[in-house]
Amino acid sequence: MEKLKKIKIGGDKLTMIAAIIVVFIIFSSLNHNFFTGTNIVNILVAGSLVGLVAIGHTYLIIAAQNDLSPGAVVAFSGVLAALLSAAGVPFGFVVLITVVSGAIIGVFNSFMVNKIKLDPFIATLVTQSVIRGFAYIICDGKPVSITDPTYLLIGKLRIFGIPLSVWIMIILIAVFGIILARTKFGRQIYAIGGNKDAARLAGLNPQRTILICFILMGILCAIGGIIFSSRMNSGQPAANVNLEFDAITAVILGGVSFMGGVGGMGGTILGIILIQSFNTGLTMVNVPSFWQYVARGALLLFALTTDYIRKQKREKELLEASMKNA
Amino acid sequence: MNGVLEFKGISKYFPGVKALDDVSFKAYGGEVLAFLGENGAGKSTLLKILNGDYQPTSGEYIINGVQKHFNSPHEAIEDGISVIYQERQILLELSVAENIYLGRMPSKKLGFIDTKKANRDAKKIIDDFGLPIDPSTKVKDMSIAYQQMVEIMKAYSRDNLQVICFDEPTASLSDAEIEALFTVIRKLRDEGKIIIYVSHRMNEIQQIADKVAIFKDGRYVDTIDPKVVPESEMIKMMVGRDLGDIYKELDRNTNIGDVLLEVKNVSSDYVKENSFVLHKGEVLGFSGLVGAGRTELMRAIIGADKMKTGEVYLEGKKITNRSPHEAQENGIVLVPEDRKLQGILANLSVADNINISMLDANSNQFGFMDSKKEKEVANKGIRDFNIKTPSPSKKIVELSGGNQQKCIVARWLSTNPKVLIMDEPTKGIDVGAKAEFYQMICDFAKQGMGVILISSEMPEVIGLSDRIIVMRGLKIVGETGREEVTEDQLLTMGMLGEV
Repeated sequence: MEKLKKIKIGGDKLTMIAAIIVVFIIFSSLNHNFFTGTNIVNILVAGSLVGLVAIGHTYLIIAAQNDLSPGAVVAFSGVLAALLSAAGVPFGFVVLITVVSGAIIGVFNSFMVNKIKLDPFIATLVTQSVIRGFAYIICDGKPVSITDPTYLLIGKLRIFGIPLSVWIMIILIAVFGIILARTKFGRQIYAIGGNKDAARLAGLNPQRTILICFILMGILCAIGGIIFSSRMNSGQPAANVNLEFDAITAVILGGVSFMGGVGGMGGTILGIILIQSFNTGLTMVNVPSFWQYVARGALLLFALTTDYIRKQKREKELLEASMKNA
Repeated sequence: MNGVLEFKGISKYFPGVKALDDVSFKAYGGEVLAFLGENGAGKSTLLKILNGDYQPTSGEYIINGVQKHFNSPHEAIEDGISVIYQERQILLELSVAENIYLGRMPSKKLGFIDTKKANRDAKKIIDDFGLPIDPSTKVKDMSIAYQQMVEIMKAYSRDNLQVICFDEPTASLSDAEIEALFTVIRKLRDEGKIIIYVSHRMNEIQQIADKVAIFKDGRYVDTIDPKVVPESEMIKMMVGRDLGDIYKELDRNTNIGDVLLEVKNVSSDYVKENSFVLHKGEVLGFSGLVGAGRTELMRAIIGADKMKTGEVYLEGKKITNRSPHEAQENGIVLVPEDRKLQGILANLSVADNINISMLDANSNQFGFMDSKKEKEVANKGIRDFNIKTPSPSKKIVELSGGNQQKCIVARWLSTNPKVLIMDEPTKGIDVGAKAEFYQMICDFAKQGMGVILISSEMPEVIGLSDRIIVMRGLKIVGETGREEVTEDQLLTMGMLGEV
């Protein structure tokens, strides 16, 4: 039985890989520059920001939570870091302060969910608006230029031809993936996502787990904000709108269930690659940007439908299995 | 002409449960057919299939020669099939007449509601039933018994009423109210309706039923005449063996020790101040009606609900449980009442479900899980509690209800608790597994644990407990030993607070 299960999970991933190949074939045939080394690196660079946020969403959605604030938090973090840097703060402290502010936003999100008992969607919608507002307020609505060479290096440095931002994403995915699969904290995430009440009665502390997940998301967004602003040479308060949209789509495409309790980091990696090659491809074959919104919506609908079909399939299999056992 | 309702090969599966298995029999108009069976025997499931709440996995039912299929209870009601549940299905803010004619109030020319006509029509039905009710009274101002009558009248007001089912209708009624209900049921019977009556209470079945259909573990056993077949025989048919023997055969703990747990004036938002003691090696039963506050008291003790007043002493030392986690560290654990919502983690495997309370013990100082230890704990649980699963990595929801429950018990026993609280541990579990649970409970007591057993099944409380505490209205109202109490006495205490 154990073997069967592994093949089944592999089956889901194979579908994803097939989808990625199809996307590549379609866009390559429409634009010959799509399947080139430079463009693949471009896709990875663009995907690294979505990837950081998707890591956080993988934890949150498995824990049956969600977060709509990352786009705003990434923009706010970029502006904050650029302002601090412009004020002469050394880069190390810039990073430290920005990361701490991201963590505080995470605490605020989990406070609304844990203590005021708001639905995570609604709670983080509040944060999205408030933090976006602060992103504009602290810089008076104008982009903040970055001049510190160390700061600027983050966006330019390449190791073995691969940009630093991509390396950071890869390392963080690996670390967060191992924590999710192998540690006590990972087990707690799956348990509370499956059934929060039962997990609490079983001696777990769901509120603490949710708090940590939101803090981690805040920190990931802060890191994302620093990297993105470095690449842009400035902190931009209007940037990264709808970032969470792509990240959530990637996570759901990767097999994490909206109901919580199911999925893993491996699927998220494939989800990130799929959504970013899709987005980059749309631009490269000159799909008008207004229509890109429609296309992304369609992709999310596709992801959710797949999630629903998977769930139906799981339930049907369970029913059949229990009919055999009964 | 009296109607006929025929069930043909009805089966219904849920994940982990075979609720109904190839059920075929007939019910006739003009007689009251009682459904008799244990919890989980499939009686309520069959009613839910009849009224369109569930769809059968296979099989069909035929009313007066016409095969029926309802997608919702609404469709069934439109077709003259009503189920009266224990919990009221009426709108408390509306009047009696408005409830009776809900969704089909008579109207005047311009579409305005004709309240006068509704009240007049309702009055006719009320008089038919011989009840002293004013049709314009708001339902919330009436007693539970009358509220139930309104539901019955609502069903009766439909000209095409063919089948009316009562699912445990007397659970919260007094004797006089039960008598009034029976009068109405007899009236419906004499009009030739098909009447199905589900109850646990043997004496009620003797009073009201003309025929008794017996169910066991999702299967239909037989239909018998209660005036011919003696009660003990009926119980044997529904249980499959003499339950009395199960209790007699138990290998009990005879060595009850010192005070283990002392609960002093504990209250929460959901339960009043209560005090009791539990000894080492003792099985302490908690009896009472649903809603008497038994679960709530235990939840306050383990910190699942916030304790408002009171103190808890374990082995003479004062302890505070601010969360179930702290209670577990102190050695007090709870197997919750609602297995599906509060017990199992449906998305996880059998092994993960057993291990979930052992995360600290099964991991190293960096928080990494030790998969060898996890495997050991899971395998020990599966072995010790005879959990029937094809493999530890199976999803827990694929197991039968009894085996799921054993996983929850294994989860807690692996933490070596001193006090084990079990809330309705055998709910929805078949008889064979029940007997296993009973011996398990005795074994825990033998190992020196204190066991608190909350159960609404009187024979279970009486058969297992060394002492029995009765709760009523969120307070402890009495205490008694096993030897000196009968089911009736417990029930009286639970309902009236006195013997």
